[in-house]
Amino acid sequence: MSSPEDRPRARRKLSGRAPGAPRRVAYLYILPALAFYLLFTLFPLGQTVKLSLYAWDGVSPREYVGFANYRELFGDERIRAGFGHALQLVLFFSVLSIVLGLFLTALLTRFPVRGLTFFRTVLFMPQTIATVVVAQAFVWWYAPEGPLNEFLRAIGLSGYAHTWIGDFDWALRAVGAIGTWVTFGLCMVLFLAGAQRIDGSLYEAARVDGAGAVREFLAVTLPGLRNELVVAATLTTITALRSFDLIYNTTSGGPAGETEVPSWLMFYNAFDLPHRVGYAAAIATMLTLTISAVALVLGRLSRAGE
Amino acid sequence: MGIPTPSRRTVLALAATSAIGVAVAFTGSSAARPGSAANAAANPFAKYGNVTLNVWSADNQDPGPKPVIEEISKQFEKKYPNVKVKLTFKAFTDYMKVINLALNGNNAPDVAEGNQGYGTDALLVRAKLIRPLDGYAKKYGWGKYYSAGAAAQFRWTPDGKTFGKGNLWGVGQFGQSTGVFVNAARLKKLGISTVHPKTFAEFDALVTNVRGKLPKSEPVITLGNKDGYEIVHAWGMIQGAYVTGKSVRDWIFHAPGATFDTPGNAKALAVLKRWVDAGVFGTDYNAVGENDAAAAFAKGKGVFYMGGNWQAAVLKAGLGSGLEFYNGPAGASGKHVAIGSTSLPWHISAKTKNADIAAAYIDFLINAKSGSAKLMYAQNQIPAISTAPKAVGDPYLSSIAGGWQQLVKQDGLTLFPDWTTDTMYTTLGTEFQKFAGGKESAADVIKHVQADWEKFDKKLK
Repeated sequence: MSSPEDRPRARRKLSGRAPGAPRRVAYLYILPALAFYLLFTLFPLGQTVKLSLYAWDGVSPREYVGFANYRELFGDERIRAGFGHALQLVLFFSVLSIVLGLFLTALLTRFPVRGLTFFRTVLFMPQTIATVVVAQAFVWWYAPEGPLNEFLRAIGLSGYAHTWIGDFDWALRAVGAIGTWVTFGLCMVLFLAGAQRIDGSLYEAARVDGAGAVREFLAVTLPGLRNELVVAATLTTITALRSFDLIYNTTSGGPAGETEVPSWLMFYNAFDLPHRVGYAAAIATMLTLTISAVALVLGRLSRAGE
Repeated sequence: MGIPTPSRRTVLALAATSAIGVAVAFTGSSAARPGSAANAAANPFAKYGNVTLNVWSADNQDPGPKPVIEEISKQFEKKYPNVKVKLTFKAFTDYMKVINLALNGNNAPDVAEGNQGYGTDALLVRAKLIRPLDGYAKKYGWGKYYSAGAAAQFRWTPDGKTFGKGNLWGVGQFGQSTGVFVNAARLKKLGISTVHPKTFAEFDALVTNVRGKLPKSEPVITLGNKDGYEIVHAWGMIQGAYVTGKSVRDWIFHAPGATFDTPGNAKALAVLKRWVDAGVFGTDYNAVGENDAAAAFAKGKGVFYMGGNWQAAVLKAGLGSGLEFYNGPAGASGKHVAIGSTSLPWHISAKTKNADIAAAYIDFLINAKSGSAKLMYAQNQIPAISTAPKAVGDPYLSSIAGGWQQLVKQDGLTLFPDWTTDTMYTTLGTEFQKFAGGKESAADVIKHVQADWEKFDKKLK
């Protein structure tokens, strides 16, 4: 009589697979998800790439033009400026948010406050509000006679009052600041969660060694948050690069194109008067490649230290 | 606004909320009602049996054009009892993104509005989604409704490349032009004469005079230039003092030898720059949208508003009898020239089986007979056709309707300059914002605008 433990072992031998090796039946389990992914992600992606090789107004028969759309894309100043603007947005959505998030995390872990859950919820809130609502709120906030300018005038800084989203120099920064406001809560929550996993004995050891708050942060907290940092950087960078709704609802790319970004230019070319679906598809493809490359590099970074 | 800009239409919706409805008496209302028994006698469409006419429109503002279209449709159904009109309204920006697809689909509307210019109508013509209306124009006498200059905005060669010539593909219902709205009550308070200036030079002097008397913080001309295009409306009136309507239209139509690089345009840009530098428009304009600026003017900010008559109701609601209107004063030629066109042109789908009924319906919409002019005036809409009865009784509405007719009669409608290429709306917006912001010279503006035009011109050849 074989013991119960023998039976699975016997089966494994029969199937000729090493213990723990994946079984083919596993593919069956991922099939539903895979089908959806193929149908709603990979297939449209392939379609987009295909369309990018055509000149098409959305109605008339399309015409194969090879890589002409891409050649035009690389020479298009508006597109180049758009990618430049998107990079600047990364500074606001990602870099500034992460720095702010880290700062708050350091504060909250070093000096425990009462009602931490409350603050965490409040600071995370922007992440949960629909972008359209956020955009409308900030349009009001930035208005020429809006609260921000009124505040500056009230404290005697009227020289610093601007038309913000209507100002050539300030529009992109003003939109970027909205991005920071939206994403820093997410970063902070990620970092706080990560910091709680850090072994408390490391902090004790640091304090025994006489480390101050700054030293402790640099030597213990920061290295312990490596994975969270990568996740935060990836998420916020992608948000920055593909941001469309925020631009569309605040500046529509203005003034004078100062806040045009690739996703907005894609929308404009495909659905607005130019009716250039193929060209828009080429922009979309370039944007997808850029975002994938960024995600890949950041992913490598996270593994590099392990 | 490219004019196609959403704003010229959305503003009417605002008018609705402010509940105006300028009451008007008008002439020519005594004509027989179309639904009367006498007219119902002969129904040439009876042979078609029961027919549903699918009609799409972007003129969805109420009060405004929507109730006019609805009421005229009801009258049409009364006259032809076997015809049902099914109306579908969409907001302008949404509408323009789907109309080409809708007309290309299996359930294409029988009658639909397009949009003048190389952005939309050229596409509908080129893709053979709509049919030429020359036969119907002859049948219904539409030739009398529009001057040759005004009808050019509906003309295309069948390949959609030559604009302003060729077949007639649509007709417009309402007249939409730009002019000067004056807060006359405010002028009086400043101790300045409210007599309307006769020439552009007089108007220019008046603007300078007002600048000297108003507080620095307040603009003379209230402007909302967030989309970059609104300042072009004001500029169109300055430009009109130095150029002819035909020269601008030739440029829009890509007539051989046409260029933006003209002495007239350079002079007009110089005046605009002088105004901007003198603070005539204030400092906030790039952060404020057209509708918000109109609302601010209606609340008493500034002395002039230089923009579209589609803002007439909103402005009137705020300023009442203190508000007056006149066309941009004429230059040396003595003729009035300004930006303006009819509302979105009505088209007949190439796929419809009921083109004859569709044409009769379009004639009903535009002919301004049998009380439909009254309907339009009651909704602050100006009939586009030159044979329409005049608005009388309300001096404000009369001046706006008269302003449109004056531009038509003097061949002074330039149409909208963004129609000339599929990217000109953003190009003009960008260039004029940079120009007003001191980032570019007039020569740069002329160079870049003309470069956009030439790039597109090459594609047409």
